[in-house]
Amino acid sequence: MATQKDLLKDEEIRKLVTARLSVLSEDTIISVGSDGSFSRDELIEKVEAGDRIGNKIAQIEMEWLQSFKQN
Amino acid sequence: MSLLITRPDHEPTTKYLSAWSEKIIKLAQDKGQKVLDLKSKKATRKEFEGRISKLNPSLVVLNGHGSATAIGGQDDEILVEAGDNDHLLHSRITYAVSCSCGKKLGPKSVEKGNATFIGYDDDFVFTSNRRCLSKPLEDKRAQPFMEASNHIAIALLKGHGAHDASKRSKEMFEKSYKDLLSSNADANSLQDARLLWWNMTHQVCLGNADARI
Repeated sequence: MATQKDLLKDEEIRKLVTARLSVLSEDTIISVGSDGSFSRDELIEKVEAGDRIGNKIAQIEMEWLQSFKQN
Repeated sequence: MSLLITRPDHEPTTKYLSAWSEKIIKLAQDKGQKVLDLKSKKATRKEFEGRISKLNPSLVVLNGHGSATAIGGQDDEILVEAGDNDHLLHSRITYAVSCSCGKKLGPKSVEKGNATFIGYDDDFVFTSNRRCLSKPLEDKRAQPFMEASNHIAIALLKGHGAHDASKRSKEMFEKSYKDLLSSNADANSLQDARLLWWNMTHQVCLGNADARI
């Protein structure tokens, strides 16, 4: 698995995470640690930009999927 | 027995943690514990250091933004930091609802003294509803995150040991994400399940696992 920093360089992962976020309701806010709280659309922008927050959301998604593989 | 709790509330994440912590304070008071509530502008390093030394609480709950090495208070002023004043957490149980401090601050704080540190070794994440920002306690999406987190302090106040309290909290995270997956899961539920699972996975209990307050 790619390191957290690299995750969104993978086009398929970026598309997957963006698709997941895009179906959330518009009133969704996600608090990501010390980085603050973000709306759905802000998170999509961060995933597209491949920044730390975007990569954290991608990391959560990929580790979640990985956990099913391990079980 | 006594409880010291920090409740900065300078932005949405800390506002939520602060509001939901009222349930911990109420239970502690109902149980006759002395509660020192460092809320808002009282969540400063000066107040924290002075009060913890004077009161010598058996349980410390720290809400706030953090890093691997430190936990902040109001406006992110650092209250406790590894290698600086982590000795203040010795001989007590600490629960930190703060990101990543289970990586370095937690291990450092339990190196000496009969200490226990429960926290997270990565980001603590949660979902909320924009429409509830001014009334966090009515936010049904935040509820499973806050209740599972609060359950650590609640279990400790009810007399459970530290490891058991953490285990019970993790079970609440697990039950909540499984409920979200098994109900006719919509996109919001599926996302919330992932975040609950993440917090469960990254919660750590360090030091004396059998400690009780």
